[in-house]
Amino acid sequence: MKRTMEFTKRNLLELSRDMLGYIFCIAFPIVMLIVMSVVNESIPKEAGMNIFRIDNLAGGIMIFGQTFVMLFTAILVSTDRDSSFLIRLYTTPMQGRDFVFGYILPMLAIAVLQSLVIAAASLVIAGITGFSISVPGLLLSVITVIPSALFFIALGLIFGSLFNEKAAPGICSVIVSGGSFLGAVFFDAEHTGGPIYSVCRCLPFIYCTKAARSTIRLDFAWKTFGISMLVTAAAAVVCMTAAIFCFQSIMRAER
Amino acid sequence: MRRSSFSMLSDTVHRREMTVHVKKVFFCFLLIYLFLRRVLKGRSEEMNGKNMIELENVTKKYGTKTAVDNVSLTVREGELFSLLGVNGAGKTTTIKMLCCLTRPTGGRAMIDGHDTVKEASEVKALVGVSTQDTAIARNLTVEENLRFMANICLDPAKNDKAAITEHVEEIIRSFGLSEVRKTRSGKLSGGWQRRLSIAMAVIGDPKVIFLDEPTLGLDVLARRELWQEIRQLKKDRTIILTTHYMEEAEELSDRIAIMIDGRIVMTGTLPELEEKTGEKGLENVFVSVAEARRA
Repeated sequence: MKRTMEFTKRNLLELSRDMLGYIFCIAFPIVMLIVMSVVNESIPKEAGMNIFRIDNLAGGIMIFGQTFVMLFTAILVSTDRDSSFLIRLYTTPMQGRDFVFGYILPMLAIAVLQSLVIAAASLVIAGITGFSISVPGLLLSVITVIPSALFFIALGLIFGSLFNEKAAPGICSVIVSGGSFLGAVFFDAEHTGGPIYSVCRCLPFIYCTKAARSTIRLDFAWKTFGISMLVTAAAAVVCMTAAIFCFQSIMRAER
Repeated sequence: MRRSSFSMLSDTVHRREMTVHVKKVFFCFLLIYLFLRRVLKGRSEEMNGKNMIELENVTKKYGTKTAVDNVSLTVREGELFSLLGVNGAGKTTTIKMLCCLTRPTGGRAMIDGHDTVKEASEVKALVGVSTQDTAIARNLTVEENLRFMANICLDPAKNDKAAITEHVEEIIRSFGLSEVRKTRSGKLSGGWQRRLSIAMAVIGDPKVIFLDEPTLGLDVLARRELWQEIRQLKKDRTIILTTHYMEEAEELSDRIAIMIDGRIVMTGTLPELEEKTGEKGLENVFVSVAEARRA
Protein backbone atom coordinates (compact mmCIF):
# COMPACT_ATOMS: atom_id res chain seq x y z
CA MET A 1 0.00 0.00 0.00
CA LYS A 2 2.83 2.38 0.93
CA ARG A 3 4.53 1.73 -2.41
CA THR A 4 1.26 2.34 -4.29
CA MET A 5 0.86 5.68 -2.53
CA GLU A 6 4.49 6.64 -3.18
CA PHE A 7 4.11 5.85 -6.88
CA THR A 8 0.79 7.76 -6.96
CA LYS A 9 2.53 10.75 -5.36
CA ARG A 10 5.36 10.59 -7.88
CA ASN A 11 2.90 10.47 -10.80
CA LEU A 12 0.88 13.39 -9.42
CA LEU A 13 4.07 15.44 -9.04
CA GLU A 14 5.22 14.49 -12.52
CA LEU A 15 1.87 15.55 -14.04
CA SER A 16 1.44 18.67 -11.94
CA ARG A 17 4.76 20.03 -13.27
CA ASP A 18 3.80 19.60 -16.90
CA MET A 19 2.36 22.89 -18.19
CA LEU A 20 0.70 21.11 -21.12
CA GLY A 21 -1.38 19.16 -18.62
CA TYR A 22 -2.97 22.36 -17.31
CA ILE A 23 -3.53 23.65 -20.83
CA PHE A 24 -5.20 20.51 -22.18
CA CYS A 25 -6.91 19.13 -19.08
CA ILE A 26 -8.20 22.40 -17.57
CA ALA A 27 -7.81 25.44 -19.84
CA PHE A 28 -8.87 23.92 -23.15
CA PRO A 29 -12.20 22.42 -21.89
CA ILE A 30 -13.01 25.78 -20.25
CA VAL A 31 -12.21 27.62 -23.49
CA MET A 32 -14.49 25.21 -25.38
CA LEU A 33 -17.21 25.77 -22.78
CA ILE A 34 -16.96 29.54 -23.29
CA VAL A 35 -16.74 29.37 -27.10
CA MET A 36 -19.71 27.01 -27.41
CA SER A 37 -21.75 29.16 -25.00
CA VAL A 38 -21.02 32.16 -27.26
CA VAL A 39 -22.09 30.06 -30.27
CA ASN A 40 -25.28 29.13 -28.40
CA GLU A 41 -26.04 32.81 -27.81
CA SER A 42 -25.67 33.39 -31.56
CA ILE A 43 -28.15 30.67 -32.55
CA PRO A 44 -31.65 32.06 -32.99
CA LYS A 45 -34.19 30.67 -30.50
CA GLU A 46 -36.51 29.73 -33.39
CA ALA A 47 -33.93 27.15 -34.55
CA GLY A 48 -34.84 25.07 -31.47
CA MET A 49 -31.27 23.90 -31.16
CA ASN A 50 -30.28 23.36 -27.53
CA ILE A 51 -27.17 21.18 -27.82
CA PHE A 52 -24.94 24.12 -26.80
CA ARG A 53 -27.20 25.19 -23.95
CA ILE A 54 -25.14 25.18 -20.76
CA ASP A 55 -27.02 22.25 -19.12
CA ASN A 56 -26.21 20.09 -22.17
CA LEU A 57 -22.80 21.56 -22.80
CA ALA A 58 -21.47 21.09 -19.23
CA GLY A 59 -21.92 17.28 -19.32
CA GLY A 60 -20.48 17.04 -22.84
CA ILE A 61 -17.42 19.12 -21.94
CA MET A 62 -16.81 16.97 -18.84
CA ILE A 63 -16.53 13.93 -21.13
CA PHE A 64 -14.49 15.89 -23.69
CA GLY A 65 -12.07 16.89 -20.90
CA GLN A 66 -11.71 13.27 -19.84
CA THR A 67 -10.40 12.35 -23.28
CA PHE A 68 -7.37 14.55 -22.46
CA VAL A 69 -6.93 12.69 -19.18
CA MET A 70 -6.67 9.58 -21.37
CA LEU A 71 -4.04 11.34 -23.50
CA PHE A 72 -1.92 12.23 -20.46
CA THR A 73 -2.24 8.73 -18.99
CA ALA A 74 -0.89 7.32 -22.26
CA ILE A 75 1.95 9.88 -22.35
CA LEU A 76 2.95 9.16 -18.74
CA VAL A 77 2.99 5.37 -19.16
CA SER A 78 4.74 5.37 -22.56
CA THR A 79 7.38 7.88 -21.37
CA ASP A 80 8.10 5.80 -18.26
CA ARG A 81 8.51 2.74 -20.48
CA ASP A 82 10.70 4.44 -23.08
CA SER A 83 12.98 6.12 -20.52
CA SER A 84 13.59 2.76 -18.75
CA PHE A 85 12.16 4.27 -15.55
CA LEU A 86 9.72 1.35 -15.37
CA ILE A 87 12.58 -1.11 -15.91
CA ARG A 88 14.32 0.40 -12.88
CA LEU A 89 11.13 0.04 -10.85
CA TYR A 90 10.66 -3.60 -11.97
CA THR A 91 13.91 -4.41 -10.13
CA THR A 92 12.52 -3.00 -6.85
CA PRO A 93 10.10 -4.76 -4.49
CA MET A 94 7.11 -3.03 -6.21
CA GLN A 95 4.27 -5.40 -7.20
CA GLY A 96 2.00 -5.33 -10.27
CA ARG A 97 -0.87 -3.77 -8.29
CA ASP A 98 1.40 -0.92 -7.12
CA PHE A 99 2.01 0.02 -10.75
CA VAL A 100 -1.63 -0.26 -11.89
CA PHE A 101 -3.16 1.65 -8.97
CA GLY A 102 -0.24 4.07 -8.95
CA TYR A 103 -1.21 5.13 -12.46
CA ILE A 104 -4.99 5.03 -12.01
CA LEU A 105 -5.33 6.97 -8.73
CA PRO A 106 -3.58 10.24 -9.75
CA MET A 107 -5.36 10.30 -13.10
CA LEU A 108 -8.70 9.78 -11.34
CA ALA A 109 -7.89 12.64 -8.96
CA ILE A 110 -7.11 14.88 -11.95
CA ALA A 111 -10.35 13.82 -13.69
CA VAL A 112 -12.42 14.67 -10.58
CA LEU A 113 -10.66 18.04 -10.20
CA GLN A 114 -11.27 18.74 -13.88
CA SER A 115 -15.01 17.95 -13.54
CA LEU A 116 -15.23 20.24 -10.50
CA VAL A 117 -13.58 23.11 -12.43
CA ILE A 118 -15.92 22.56 -15.41
CA ALA A 119 -18.95 22.44 -13.06
CA ALA A 120 -17.87 25.72 -11.45
CA ALA A 121 -17.24 27.37 -14.83
CA SER A 122 -20.64 26.15 -16.07
CA LEU A 123 -22.29 27.73 -13.05
CA VAL A 124 -20.60 31.06 -13.79
CA ILE A 125 -21.55 30.90 -17.49
CA ALA A 126 -25.15 29.99 -16.55
CA GLY A 127 -25.20 33.04 -14.28
CA ILE A 128 -23.87 35.30 -17.05
CA THR A 129 -26.24 33.98 -19.75
CA GLY A 130 -29.20 33.98 -17.37
CA PHE A 131 -29.93 30.26 -17.73
CA SER A 132 -30.85 28.35 -14.63
CA ILE A 133 -28.79 25.22 -13.98
CA SER A 134 -29.12 22.78 -11.09
CA VAL A 135 -26.27 23.12 -8.61
CA PRO A 136 -26.99 19.70 -7.02
CA GLY A 137 -27.09 18.26 -10.56
CA LEU A 138 -23.68 19.72 -11.34
CA LEU A 139 -22.22 18.43 -8.07
CA LEU A 140 -23.73 14.98 -8.59
CA SER A 141 -22.38 14.86 -12.12
CA VAL A 142 -18.83 15.12 -10.71
CA ILE A 143 -19.54 11.75 -9.06
CA THR A 144 -21.47 10.10 -11.91
CA VAL A 145 -18.72 10.83 -14.44
CA ILE A 146 -16.26 8.74 -12.40
CA PRO A 147 -17.06 5.51 -14.36
CA SER A 148 -16.45 7.32 -17.65
CA ALA A 149 -13.21 8.75 -16.21
CA LEU A 150 -12.10 5.19 -15.38
CA PHE A 151 -13.05 4.13 -18.92
CA PHE A 152 -10.83 6.82 -20.45
CA ILE A 153 -7.98 6.21 -18.00
CA ALA A 154 -8.13 2.52 -18.94
CA LEU A 155 -7.89 3.46 -22.63
CA GLY A 156 -4.87 5.63 -21.80
CA LEU A 157 -3.22 2.75 -19.95
CA ILE A 158 -3.80 0.44 -22.92
CA PHE A 159 -2.34 2.89 -25.46
CA GLY A 160 0.55 3.81 -23.16
CA SER A 161 1.39 0.12 -22.69
CA LEU A 162 1.13 -0.81 -26.36
CA PHE A 163 2.73 2.19 -28.06
CA ASN A 164 5.89 4.23 -27.56
CA GLU A 165 5.96 7.87 -26.45
CA LYS A 166 5.79 9.11 -30.06
CA ALA A 167 2.94 6.89 -31.25
CA ALA A 168 0.74 6.91 -28.12
CA PRO A 169 -0.21 10.65 -28.24
CA GLY A 170 -1.06 10.32 -31.95
CA ILE A 171 -3.38 7.36 -31.36
CA CYS A 172 -4.96 9.19 -28.41
CA SER A 173 -5.58 12.28 -30.56
CA VAL A 174 -7.66 10.09 -32.87
CA ILE A 175 -9.71 8.93 -29.85
CA VAL A 176 -10.04 12.55 -28.59
CA SER A 177 -11.55 13.61 -31.94
CA GLY A 178 -13.50 10.41 -32.55
CA GLY A 179 -14.70 10.18 -28.95
CA SER A 180 -16.00 13.75 -28.84
CA PHE A 181 -17.72 13.27 -32.23
CA LEU A 182 -19.19 9.82 -31.57
CA GLY A 183 -19.95 10.86 -28.00
CA ALA A 184 -22.21 13.56 -29.46
CA VAL A 185 -20.48 16.26 -27.41
CA PHE A 186 -20.79 18.93 -30.11
CA PHE A 187 -23.77 17.74 -32.14
CA ASP A 188 -27.20 16.28 -31.51
CA ALA A 189 -26.76 12.67 -32.63
CA GLU A 190 -30.29 11.60 -31.69
CA HIS A 191 -31.93 14.22 -33.88
CA THR A 192 -29.39 13.67 -36.64
CA GLY A 193 -30.26 9.95 -36.69
CA GLY A 194 -29.25 7.70 -39.57
CA PRO A 195 -26.08 5.61 -39.71
CA ILE A 196 -24.07 8.08 -37.60
CA TYR A 197 -26.45 7.64 -34.69
CA SER A 198 -26.33 3.85 -35.18
CA VAL A 199 -22.52 3.94 -34.98
CA CYS A 200 -22.69 6.21 -31.92
CA ARG A 201 -25.02 3.75 -30.20
CA CYS A 202 -22.59 0.89 -30.79
CA LEU A 203 -19.79 2.67 -28.90
CA PRO A 204 -19.66 3.67 -25.22
CA PHE A 205 -18.82 7.38 -25.76
CA ILE A 206 -22.41 8.60 -26.27
CA TYR A 207 -23.57 6.79 -23.11
CA CYS A 208 -20.87 8.59 -21.10
CA THR A 209 -22.18 11.95 -22.38
CA LYS A 210 -25.83 10.99 -21.83
CA ALA A 211 -25.20 9.89 -18.23
CA ALA A 212 -23.47 13.21 -17.44
CA ARG A 213 -26.18 15.32 -19.10
CA SER A 214 -29.01 13.41 -17.39
CA THR A 215 -27.38 13.90 -13.98
CA ILE A 216 -27.02 17.66 -14.50
CA ARG A 217 -30.76 17.82 -15.40
CA LEU A 218 -31.48 15.60 -12.35
CA ASP A 219 -33.16 13.18 -14.72
CA PHE A 220 -32.56 9.74 -13.28
CA ALA A 221 -35.04 7.82 -15.45
CA TRP A 222 -33.99 4.33 -16.52
CA LYS A 223 -34.18 5.17 -20.26
CA THR A 224 -32.03 8.25 -20.03
CA PHE A 225 -29.74 7.82 -17.03
CA GLY A 226 -30.00 4.14 -16.01
CA ILE A 227 -29.08 2.53 -19.34
CA SER A 228 -26.35 5.09 -20.04
CA MET A 229 -24.81 4.60 -16.61
CA LEU A 230 -24.95 0.83 -16.95
CA VAL A 231 -23.25 0.83 -20.37
CA THR A 232 -20.60 3.31 -19.15
CA ALA A 233 -19.87 1.25 -16.04
CA ALA A 234 -19.68 -1.95 -18.12
CA ALA A 235 -17.29 -0.27 -20.58
CA ALA A 236 -15.17 0.93 -17.65
CA VAL A 237 -14.98 -2.57 -16.14
CA VAL A 238 -14.18 -4.26 -19.49
CA CYS A 239 -11.56 -1.66 -20.50
CA MET A 240 -9.95 -1.60 -17.05
CA THR A 241 -9.65 -5.39 -17.06
CA ALA A 242 -8.13 -5.22 -20.56
CA ALA A 243 -5.78 -2.41 -19.43
CA ILE A 244 -4.52 -4.37 -16.40
CA PHE A 245 -4.03 -7.46 -18.56
CA CYS A 246 -2.30 -5.40 -21.25
CA PHE A 247 0.00 -3.56 -18.82
CA GLN A 248 1.02 -6.74 -17.02
CA SER A 249 1.60 -8.59 -20.31
CA ILE A 250 3.83 -5.78 -21.52
CA MET A 251 5.63 -5.82 -18.15
CA ARG A 252 6.36 -9.53 -18.61
CA ALA A 253 7.27 -9.14 -22.28
CA GLU A 254 9.68 -6.27 -21.58
CA ARG A 255 11.40 -8.46 -19.03
CA MET B 1 54.20 -71.14 33.47
CA ARG B 2 52.99 -68.90 36.25
CA ARG B 3 55.58 -66.29 35.21
CA SER B 4 54.58 -66.54 31.60
CA SER B 5 50.89 -66.01 32.45
CA PHE B 6 51.83 -62.96 34.49
CA SER B 7 53.93 -61.60 31.62
CA MET B 8 51.01 -62.08 29.19
CA LEU B 9 48.65 -60.33 31.52
CA SER B 10 51.13 -57.47 31.90
CA ASP B 11 51.48 -57.22 28.09
CA THR B 12 47.73 -57.09 27.63
CA VAL B 13 47.38 -54.32 30.19
CA HIS B 14 50.28 -52.46 28.65
CA ARG B 15 48.78 -52.84 25.14
CA ARG B 16 45.41 -51.61 26.38
CA GLU B 17 47.08 -48.53 27.93
CA MET B 18 48.96 -47.92 24.69
CA THR B 19 45.71 -48.10 22.70
CA VAL B 20 44.13 -45.60 25.05
CA HIS B 21 47.17 -43.30 24.62
CA VAL B 22 47.08 -43.61 20.83
CA LYS B 23 43.37 -42.88 20.86
CA LYS B 24 43.96 -39.79 23.03
CA VAL B 25 46.73 -38.52 20.78
CA PHE B 26 44.66 -39.23 17.66
CA PHE B 27 41.68 -37.42 19.17
CA CYS B 28 43.86 -34.42 20.06
CA PHE B 29 45.26 -34.29 16.53
CA LEU B 30 41.76 -34.52 15.11
CA LEU B 31 40.61 -31.62 17.26
CA ILE B 32 43.64 -29.53 16.26
CA TYR B 33 43.05 -30.39 12.58
CA LEU B 34 39.36 -29.43 12.75
CA PHE B 35 40.17 -26.23 14.58
CA LEU B 36 42.87 -25.23 12.10
CA ARG B 37 40.66 -26.13 9.13
CA ARG B 38 37.88 -23.95 10.48
CA VAL B 39 40.24 -21.05 11.20
CA LEU B 40 41.98 -21.31 7.82
CA LYS B 41 38.67 -21.61 5.95
CA GLY B 42 37.39 -18.51 7.74
CA ARG B 43 40.61 -16.65 6.90
CA SER B 44 40.46 -17.77 3.29
CA GLU B 45 36.79 -16.62 3.00
CA GLU B 46 37.74 -13.39 4.66
CA MET B 47 40.55 -12.90 2.19
CA ASN B 48 38.73 -14.00 -0.96
CA GLY B 49 35.14 -13.10 0.00
CA LYS B 50 32.20 -15.48 -0.25
CA ASN B 51 30.52 -16.02 -3.59
CA MET B 52 27.97 -13.25 -3.95
CA ILE B 53 26.92 -14.06 -7.53
CA GLU B 54 26.81 -17.51 -9.05
CA LEU B 55 25.76 -18.45 -12.54
CA GLU B 56 25.50 -22.16 -13.34
CA ASN B 57 25.16 -23.03 -17.02
CA VAL B 58 22.81 -20.11 -17.60
CA THR B 59 21.23 -19.89 -21.03
CA LYS B 60 18.75 -17.37 -22.41
CA LYS B 61 17.01 -17.87 -25.72
CA TYR B 62 14.68 -15.46 -27.51
CA GLY B 63 12.91 -17.68 -30.02
CA THR B 64 15.67 -19.32 -32.05
CA LYS B 65 18.28 -16.72 -31.07
CA THR B 66 20.54 -17.59 -28.14
CA ALA B 67 21.45 -14.39 -26.31
CA VAL B 68 23.35 -16.06 -23.45
CA ASP B 69 24.84 -19.49 -24.01
CA ASN B 70 25.64 -21.80 -21.09
CA VAL B 71 27.41 -19.20 -18.96
CA SER B 72 28.95 -20.24 -15.64
CA LEU B 73 30.57 -17.65 -13.45
CA THR B 74 31.13 -16.64 -9.84
CA VAL B 75 31.70 -13.17 -8.42
CA ARG B 76 33.00 -12.79 -4.90
CA GLU B 77 31.68 -10.40 -2.26
CA GLY B 78 33.18 -6.91 -2.55
CA GLU B 79 34.52 -7.53 -6.03
CA LEU B 80 34.11 -5.21 -9.01
CA PHE B 81 33.58 -7.50 -11.94
CA SER B 82 33.47 -6.18 -15.50
CA LEU B 83 31.65 -7.78 -18.38
CA LEU B 84 33.15 -6.78 -21.70
CA GLY B 85 31.84 -7.53 -25.13
CA VAL B 86 30.75 -6.02 -28.41
CA ASN B 87 27.10 -4.98 -28.93
CA GLY B 88 24.79 -7.99 -28.71
CA ALA B 89 27.34 -10.11 -26.84
CA GLY B 90 24.81 -10.84 -24.09
CA LYS B 91 26.06 -8.53 -21.31
CA THR B 92 22.78 -6.72 -20.70
CA THR B 93 20.77 -9.97 -20.93
CA THR B 94 23.06 -11.51 -18.29
CA ILE B 95 22.46 -8.51 -16.02
CA LYS B 96 18.70 -8.68 -16.68
CA MET B 97 18.63 -12.31 -15.56
CA LEU B 98 20.58 -11.49 -12.42
CA CYS B 99 18.22 -8.72 -11.34
CA CYS B 100 15.02 -10.70 -12.09
CA LEU B 101 14.06 -8.71 -15.18
CA THR B 102 14.09 -11.84 -17.30
CA ARG B 103 14.12 -15.56 -16.58
CA PRO B 104 16.89 -17.85 -17.77
CA THR B 105 15.78 -20.46 -20.32
CA GLY B 106 18.19 -22.91 -18.70
CA GLY B 107 20.58 -23.10 -15.75
CA ARG B 108 20.50 -21.25 -12.47
CA ALA B 109 21.43 -17.74 -11.33
CA MET B 110 21.95 -16.98 -7.64
CA ILE B 111 22.55 -13.78 -5.69
CA ASP B 112 23.85 -14.26 -2.16
CA GLY B 113 22.49 -17.82 -2.23
CA HIS B 114 19.02 -16.81 -3.46
CA ASP B 115 17.68 -18.16 -6.74
CA THR B 116 16.69 -15.30 -9.07
CA VAL B 117 13.60 -17.20 -10.27
CA LYS B 118 12.33 -18.94 -7.13
CA GLU B 119 13.30 -16.19 -4.65
CA ALA B 120 12.83 -13.09 -6.79
CA SER B 121 11.56 -10.88 -3.94
CA GLU B 122 14.61 -11.71 -1.78
CA VAL B 123 16.90 -11.00 -4.74
CA LYS B 124 15.15 -7.69 -5.49
CA ALA B 125 15.86 -6.57 -1.92
CA LEU B 126 19.57 -7.25 -2.50
CA VAL B 127 20.18 -5.53 -5.84
CA GLY B 128 20.31 -2.01 -7.25
CA VAL B 129 20.38 -1.30 -10.99
CA SER B 130 21.57 1.63 -13.06
CA THR B 131 20.41 0.97 -16.62
CA GLN B 132 21.93 2.14 -19.93
CA ASP B 133 19.33 4.94 -20.01
CA THR B 134 19.40 7.19 -16.99
CA ALA B 135 15.89 6.04 -15.93
CA ILE B 136 15.04 9.05 -13.77
CA ALA B 137 11.74 10.89 -13.21
CA ARG B 138 12.47 13.99 -15.27
CA ASN B 139 9.96 16.38 -13.67
CA LEU B 140 11.02 15.51 -10.13
CA THR B 141 13.94 17.21 -8.43
CA VAL B 142 17.10 15.27 -7.52
CA GLU B 143 15.98 15.09 -3.90
CA GLU B 144 12.45 13.94 -4.84
CA ASN B 145 13.84 11.22 -7.10
CA LEU B 146 16.03 9.91 -4.29
CA ARG B 147 13.27 10.14 -1.69
CA PHE B 148 10.88 8.31 -4.01
CA MET B 149 13.37 5.46 -4.59
CA ALA B 150 14.19 5.29 -0.87
CA ASN B 151 10.50 4.97 0.00
CA ILE B 152 10.07 2.26 -2.63
CA CYS B 153 13.22 0.24 -1.88
CA LEU B 154 13.74 0.47 1.87
CA ASP B 155 11.72 -1.82 4.12
CA PRO B 156 8.98 0.38 5.69
CA ALA B 157 8.96 -1.81 8.82
CA LYS B 158 12.62 -1.00 9.52
CA ASN B 159 12.80 2.59 8.26
CA ASP B 160 10.59 5.37 9.53
CA LYS B 161 10.30 8.79 7.88
CA ALA B 162 13.22 10.24 9.85
CA ALA B 163 15.48 7.31 8.95
CA ILE B 164 14.61 7.69 5.26
CA THR B 165 15.30 11.44 5.36
CA GLU B 166 18.64 10.82 7.04
CA HIS B 167 19.54 8.18 4.45
CA VAL B 168 18.59 10.49 1.55
CA GLU B 169 20.76 13.25 3.04
CA GLU B 170 23.67 10.83 3.38
CA ILE B 171 23.40 9.77 -0.27
CA ILE B 172 23.14 13.40 -1.41
CA ARG B 173 26.31 14.18 0.55
CA SER B 174 28.28 11.15 -0.56
CA PHE B 175 27.43 11.64 -4.24
CA GLY B 176 28.06 15.39 -4.09
CA LEU B 177 24.52 16.18 -5.24
CA SER B 178 23.93 19.03 -2.75
CA GLU B 179 24.27 21.84 -5.30
CA VAL B 180 21.62 20.33 -7.61
CA ARG B 181 19.28 18.80 -5.03
CA LYS B 182 16.42 21.22 -5.87
CA THR B 183 16.96 21.07 -9.64
CA ARG B 184 14.54 19.08 -11.77
CA SER B 185 16.46 16.05 -12.98
CA GLY B 186 15.40 16.55 -16.62
CA LYS B 187 17.31 19.84 -16.61
CA LEU B 188 20.60 18.35 -15.37
CA SER B 189 23.61 17.74 -17.63
CA GLY B 190 24.40 14.17 -18.75
CA GLY B 191 27.07 13.75 -16.08
CA TRP B 192 24.77 14.83 -13.24
CA GLN B 193 21.98 12.61 -14.56
CA ARG B 194 24.31 9.59 -14.58
CA ARG B 195 25.44 10.40 -11.06
CA LEU B 196 21.81 10.65 -9.93
CA SER B 197 21.01 7.38 -11.70
CA ILE B 198 23.76 5.58 -9.77
CA ALA B 199 22.70 7.25 -6.51
CA MET B 200 19.14 5.96 -7.16
CA ALA B 201 20.54 2.45 -7.64
CA VAL B 202 22.41 2.68 -4.34
CA ILE B 203 19.73 4.27 -2.18
CA GLY B 204 18.03 0.97 -1.32
CA ASP B 205 21.31 -0.07 0.33
CA PRO B 206 21.84 -3.04 -2.00
CA LYS B 207 24.57 -5.64 -1.56
CA VAL B 208 24.99 -5.94 -5.32
CA ILE B 209 24.96 -3.09 -7.83
CA PHE B 210 24.62 -3.52 -11.58
CA LEU B 211 26.03 -0.66 -13.62
CA ASP B 212 25.09 -1.10 -17.27
CA GLU B 213 27.35 1.21 -19.28
CA PRO B 214 27.26 3.92 -16.61
CA THR B 215 29.49 6.41 -18.45
CA LEU B 216 27.93 6.04 -21.90
CA GLY B 217 27.97 9.35 -23.77
CA LEU B 218 29.86 11.29 -21.09
CA ASP B 219 32.86 13.51 -21.73
CA VAL B 220 36.26 12.57 -20.29
CA LEU B 221 35.99 14.78 -17.21
CA ALA B 222 32.49 13.63 -16.28
CA ARG B 223 33.61 10.03 -16.80
CA ARG B 224 36.59 10.46 -14.49
CA GLU B 225 34.35 12.00 -11.81
CA LEU B 226 31.97 9.08 -12.07
CA TRP B 227 34.86 6.61 -11.76
CA GLN B 228 35.63 8.22 -8.43
CA GLU B 229 32.04 7.57 -7.28
CA ILE B 230 32.26 3.96 -8.44
CA ARG B 231 35.54 3.47 -6.56
CA GLN B 232 33.82 4.73 -3.39
CA LEU B 233 30.96 2.26 -3.91
CA LYS B 234 33.43 -0.59 -4.38
CA LYS B 235 34.47 -0.43 -0.74
CA ASP B 236 31.53 -2.35 0.69
CA ARG B 237 29.51 -3.66 -2.24
CA THR B 238 29.76 -6.13 -5.07
CA ILE B 239 29.57 -4.40 -8.44
CA ILE B 240 28.96 -5.78 -11.90
CA LEU B 241 29.94 -3.32 -14.58
CA THR B 242 29.35 -3.51 -18.31
CA THR B 243 31.21 -1.10 -20.51
CA HIS B 244 32.59 -0.50 -23.98
CA TYR B 245 35.41 1.65 -22.63
CA MET B 246 38.46 -0.56 -22.08
CA GLU B 247 40.32 2.01 -19.98
CA GLU B 248 37.29 2.14 -17.66
CA ALA B 249 37.32 -1.63 -17.10
CA GLU B 250 41.11 -1.51 -16.70
CA GLU B 251 40.88 1.31 -14.17
CA LEU B 252 38.07 -0.06 -12.02
CA SER B 253 37.86 -3.86 -12.25
CA ASP B 254 39.17 -6.53 -9.93
CA ARG B 255 38.35 -9.21 -12.49
CA ILE B 256 37.16 -9.08 -16.08
CA ALA B 257 35.13 -11.44 -18.26
CA ILE B 258 35.07 -11.20 -22.05
CA MET B 259 31.76 -12.21 -23.63
CA ILE B 260 31.42 -13.06 -27.30
CA ASP B 261 28.23 -14.35 -28.94
CA GLY B 262 26.59 -15.05 -25.58
CA ARG B 263 29.53 -17.05 -24.18
CA ILE B 264 32.18 -16.09 -21.66
CA VAL B 265 35.41 -16.87 -23.45
CA MET B 266 37.93 -15.62 -20.93
CA THR B 267 37.88 -14.57 -17.26
CA GLY B 268 40.55 -13.27 -14.93
CA THR B 269 42.43 -10.29 -13.60
CA LEU B 270 44.09 -8.04 -16.18
CA PRO B 271 47.58 -9.59 -15.63
CA GLU B 272 46.02 -13.06 -15.98
CA LEU B 273 44.30 -12.09 -19.24
CA GLU B 274 47.54 -10.54 -20.52
CA GLU B 275 49.41 -13.72 -19.66
CA LYS B 276 46.82 -15.93 -21.37
CA THR B 277 46.81 -13.93 -24.59
CA GLY B 278 50.39 -12.68 -24.61
CA GLU B 279 49.11 -9.17 -25.27
CA LYS B 280 49.70 -5.97 -23.31
CA GLY B 281 46.77 -3.78 -22.24
CA LEU B 282 43.06 -4.67 -22.07
CA GLU B 283 42.20 -3.28 -25.49
CA ASN B 284 44.81 -5.53 -27.16
CA VAL B 285 43.69 -8.49 -25.06
CA PHE B 286 40.06 -7.89 -26.05
CA VAL B 287 40.83 -7.48 -29.76
CA SER B 288 43.01 -10.57 -29.78
CA VAL B 289 40.31 -12.68 -28.05
CA ALA B 290 37.53 -11.34 -30.31
CA GLU B 291 39.55 -11.90 -33.49
CA ALA B 292 40.64 -15.38 -32.44
CA ARG B 293 37.00 -16.23 -31.80
CA ARG B 294 35.91 -14.92 -35.21
CA ALA B 295 38.67 -16.81 -36.99
